[in-house]
Amino acid sequence: MMGKFSIFDQIKKEGRSILTEFESKKLLKQVGIPVVKTRLARTKKEAVLQSQRIGFPVVLKIVSPYVIHKSDPGGVKLNLNNVTEVKTAYSEMIKTISQQYPDAVIHGVSVQKMIRPGTEVIVGTSKDPQFGPVIMFGLGGIFVEVLKDVSFRIVPVSQRDAQEMIEEIKGYPLLQGVRGKESSDIPALVEMILKISNFVEEYPQIKELELNPIFAYRDGAVAVDARIILE
Amino acid sequence: MESKVSEADFSLMKSDLSFFFEPQSVAVIGSLREGYFGGYVVVKTLLNAGFAGKIYPVNPSYQEVLGLKVYPSIKEIPEKIDLALIMINRRSVPNVMRECATKGIKAVIVVADGFAERDEEGAKLQNEIVEIAREARIRIIGPNTAGIVNSANGLIPDPYEPGYEKVKPGTVAICAQTGMINPQAFPYGDLHYGVSKICDYGNKCDIDECDMLEYLESDPATKVITMYLESVRDGRRFLEISRRVTAKKPVLILKSGRTKEGAKVSASHTGALAVDDQIFSAACKQAGVIRLEKFREVFELPKIFSLQPLPKGNRLGIVTFTGGVGVLAIDEAAKYGLSVARLSPEIAKKLNAIFPGLGKTVVDIGPPMAVNNYMAIYSDILKTVLEDDHMDCLFNVIWTSPFKEFVEEYLKFYGEMQGNYQKTIATWIYGPSIPLVNELSSRLEDLGFPVFSDLEMAIKALGIAYQYSDRKKGEA
Repeated sequence: MMGKFSIFDQIKKEGRSILTEFESKKLLKQVGIPVVKTRLARTKKEAVLQSQRIGFPVVLKIVSPYVIHKSDPGGVKLNLNNVTEVKTAYSEMIKTISQQYPDAVIHGVSVQKMIRPGTEVIVGTSKDPQFGPVIMFGLGGIFVEVLKDVSFRIVPVSQRDAQEMIEEIKGYPLLQGVRGKESSDIPALVEMILKISNFVEEYPQIKELELNPIFAYRDGAVAVDARIILE
Repeated sequence: MESKVSEADFSLMKSDLSFFFEPQSVAVIGSLREGYFGGYVVVKTLLNAGFAGKIYPVNPSYQEVLGLKVYPSIKEIPEKIDLALIMINRRSVPNVMRECATKGIKAVIVVADGFAERDEEGAKLQNEIVEIAREARIRIIGPNTAGIVNSANGLIPDPYEPGYEKVKPGTVAICAQTGMINPQAFPYGDLHYGVSKICDYGNKCDIDECDMLEYLESDPATKVITMYLESVRDGRRFLEISRRVTAKKPVLILKSGRTKEGAKVSASHTGALAVDDQIFSAACKQAGVIRLEKFREVFELPKIFSLQPLPKGNRLGIVTFTGGVGVLAIDEAAKYGLSVARLSPEIAKKLNAIFPGLGKTVVDIGPPMAVNNYMAIYSDILKTVLEDDHMDCLFNVIWTSPFKEFVEEYLKFYGEMQGNYQKTIATWIYGPSIPLVNELSSRLEDLGFPVFSDLEMAIKALGIAYQYSDRKKGEA
């Protein structure tokens, strides 16, 4: 418990409200949300070491409170298969980011396991001026961005609410598995929604939270990217 | 100005609104000039409705109105006052509120308008009256309201002339943020189902939708609550209270006023995903509140709860004069999770014995009616269908025909049905004569069978009744 608070305090002390992906995932892992294995590397050497520990292929992502849209300025390098690729990717990334954001504080890079793609879903929370914390569920990618195929509930949600949230979206059949596509582990998603609901209920200082994407598999689901914004 | 009443004390008073709805005495403060609006009309409608309590008109310029003594001010009234209605110029309201406080009045309806809904001065005046009221522990409905109704005691203090005298007592409570539900705007005099309480909470400076839900929750006269909302004052409280109330009685809500604020709700990263209306919808789902989509539904849909038993399941029987209506009904029913009842073999057999081919999923009585003495077999068909235990609710379509004698036959049959079947029945009536359709509709509702204005409304009524019943079952 103290651990979580210390992250919140530290962020506040640094005068920021946005947690890095690495910080967000660390926190989420502590509250029992499955997140993709992620390590922080402050140097190229550490990046190589962590890649070897995690096992190839890996993904590198920039860790900086100032770079929010990681995908814009070359802040993500996917599918790195060996030490050489990791080294090159690391150098390129630091160089690009430093050029684009000369003032950015860079914590380093996060080294993550390049995991098998699943069905992309998203879970987010935010605060409504009248109802307080609310939680959202949807299918990732164009489903959420273009079709707005999402469902909402007020926090805290019950098991039944979480189940209904998932069944309510138009894309639900995709989670059940259509046209030879793998079905998704609905109970695992229900549990994830419940855990997120409990988490934001317990910590009112969380203004927004987003797990996007979560890869849902036949057996289990794991958050691949995450971010948390504090009040 | 610091309120002297603590929040805890204040919340203790919260749900008891009996001074509003069951006052022994009412002070009417406003113009007593004969006309279409104001104190005069209030006194007149109260007298016409046979209000059981005492009425004290207050106005310095009159001695007597409609045979009642008029008092120059509230303090001159010798007896205790439970409820005051204020309909005077907005700038005079704070002073009168102070007089109410001195008199020890606990319930005030501020009919007067021009408060927060108008301008800054109005907003200040509204704050001022709230301060006075809080300190004196006065509860306020309004300002900017057409007031309330209690059908049981003739409390119809309508500031506008309704043109009829009584609101038929019944079990539907109607609340709104508009005077569109008050007697002057809606034909309660001609309705064939009854209403328990009506409340236009106006600007909601004090009493709001949550207070009304709490009050109606324990109001024995109310079986179903229907509301029109433009805003929710306290979302969390709304969720908590409505969840509790829906476990006891159905709550139906029409909401307008979608705000832009809701758009902020969504995570910024993925764009504006949410509008506040989605959040309200979510709250309704979690609370078990039935959301309405049209103003008309506020008045029509509660009838199914008020007059009929809840369906035990989702199996819908359909009796119709044309196949087309049957198909439309099936499409509509699917929206609410109703599925068409498969007649049990013995019932199908019985129906086929009445007329070959009748025992089908949709009981199409058009063909047998055309070749048989119309009404002679109608009763047999419907009774047979209603006996089927493979069916939970019935959509019955009636064709009035151009002949009055058919109306009487239908009524005779519905009269025989009364209380004999534990199935939820929604009726839709059509025909070539508006007077006959209207007459039959009214008289069927007098018998306790709700009639809906169209096919979709009738199916929706059954659909929401099923959904409510199903949710209740899930919680039991």
